Amino acid sequence: MIDVCPVAELKPGERRLIEWEDLEIGVFNCDGALYAIEDRCSHDNGPLAEGELDEDRCTLECPRHGSLFDIKTGRPLTLPAYVPVDTFPVIIEDETIKLEVD
Amino acid sequence: MATTDIPKTPVLTENEELGRINSDYTERFGFHDAENYLYKAPKGLNREIVEKISEFKSEPQWMREFRLKALDHFLSRPQPTWGSPLLADVDYDNIHYFVRASERAERSWDDVPDDVKKTFDRLGIPEAERKFLSGVGAQYESEVVYHQVRKDLEDQGVIFMDMDSGLREHEDLVRKYFATVIPPNDNKLAALNSAVWSGGSFVYVPEGVHVEMPLQAYFRINTENMGQFERTMIIAEPGSYVHYVEGCTAPTYSSSSLHSAVVELIAMPGARIRYTTVQNWSTNVFNLVTKRAVAYEDATVEWVDCNLGSQLTMKYPSVYLMGERAHGEILSIAFAGKGQHQDAGGKIIHAAPNTTSNIFAKSISKDGGRGSYRGLLEIAKGAHGARSKVVCDALLLDEESRSDTYPTIRISEDDVNVGHEATVSKVGDDQLFYLMSHGIPEDEASKLIVNGFIEPITKELPMEYAVEMNRLIELQMEGSIG
Repeated sequence: MIDVCPVAELKPGERRLIEWEDLEIGVFNCDGALYAIEDRCSHDNGPLAEGELDEDRCTLECPRHGSLFDIKTGRPLTLPAYVPVDTFPVIIEDETIKLEVD
Repeated sequence: MATTDIPKTPVLTENEELGRINSDYTERFGFHDAENYLYKAPKGLNREIVEKISEFKSEPQWMREFRLKALDHFLSRPQPTWGSPLLADVDYDNIHYFVRASERAERSWDDVPDDVKKTFDRLGIPEAERKFLSGVGAQYESEVVYHQVRKDLEDQGVIFMDMDSGLREHEDLVRKYFATVIPPNDNKLAALNSAVWSGGSFVYVPEGVHVEMPLQAYFRINTENMGQFERTMIIAEPGSYVHYVEGCTAPTYSSSSLHSAVVELIAMPGARIRYTTVQNWSTNVFNLVTKRAVAYEDATVEWVDCNLGSQLTMKYPSVYLMGERAHGEILSIAFAGKGQHQDAGGKIIHAAPNTTSNIFAKSISKDGGRGSYRGLLEIAKGAHGARSKVVCDALLLDEESRSDTYPTIRISEDDVNVGHEATVSKVGDDQLFYLMSHGIPEDEASKLIVNGFIEPITKELPMEYAVEMNRLIELQMEGSIG
């Protein structure tokens, strides 16, 4: 379990990039709900979490080649990516956002 | 066998004969009509032009936003530097991005404006429709001027219309699939097309329906420094079949035009889509196209891609095999003459088990032309039992010409079967001698060798196209042997 930040510091539409061991993870507040997704596009391993967040659909667009990912499931909704990326359970404890990582 | 008493013929062409190559292009395809347009955008691209295109077409807000976002992607991406040095010559500021020739896509040939009608009459389109097609679309500059589909197919729910009408009349369907195969930020040219797209075909084949005769679209550029950006989408529902054929020509001008299409194919489980292109642009056209298909379980997608014209073509039709036992097939011919670079090939991605694919690519280079094969074969983790065969052959007709092969193979699974073969050959004196010793004149012998070389692909074309293709190749061959 790793700490991300206090709940109050991640407002709707905002994101936080964190590193844990060799993992890079993007944590998003999508219209009040919190999601964490691997910061790596499965198409060419480029950074994903810097992409544009669509809060209505909870999707993230890879800035390199435009694949759209569902940040709830990690599944790509458009090509050229076709392999899902990892997602991580997000929990709130003591007003702090935490991630469960293996 | 004595070969010495036959005088060796130089394979290099004489200068005065170079002028004869494709000598009737100007007469047959290279003419242009007077410009009598309803609207012609000034050269160059900006937000205002994109908004104007969307406004002209009375598009929904989401499409307008889609275009503007794509424009930002286009402007922020650098021009690619791989592929061909000729890419550096594309001048995006010297292009008309939208030209409207007619009020709407007519259903009756008689209602098409006279000038445009004359052009397509000259190109033989109405005649082809009568003879062997299920439906025809004719695009002139930015928009489709004529569209017709056979009544019996329409009654079965087949939709074949221009993309602008598709968006108007079937907005939900278009919105569901649009840009899911090729997102606007896929590459710079896809972003450009997404910003300024106009025309192209929208095809929908309902479950189980087989469209026995091909649907055809014909794309014609008339204006100098024109950009044509058609957008085509074919959705084949489960168990359906459709064959779509497109042909392209343009007038011969001294300065460049740009053709940059986006084509998305979606083959649902058990469906089969065949997409045939006979591209014969004049040699002042940059042809930079993104074509991609997705094939689900037991579906088949075939690209038959014949590239003859243009100054530079960069086109790699691809198939994503997303469902078990899906099959992808890419057959590609490229003919590069003087000053031309045909950078063609294909991509197949095996993303599911027991999927199969073939890529057969053939290129012919002459008079200093350059033919390149650029391909990707990817087998993803989990796609066990995948089988694929890639064959790329190049034929060089003289010593000035060039052929390159850039194959990429990525395999992330053990239990697969992949073959790759590549050959480069030259029309040899001994082959010519053999045929000539049977009484065949030298130029005929040379044509026979070339026709034999491309035959595995031309035999896959509908008969009328195979004949045309052989004729075009023969024209290209004229004067190639001294």
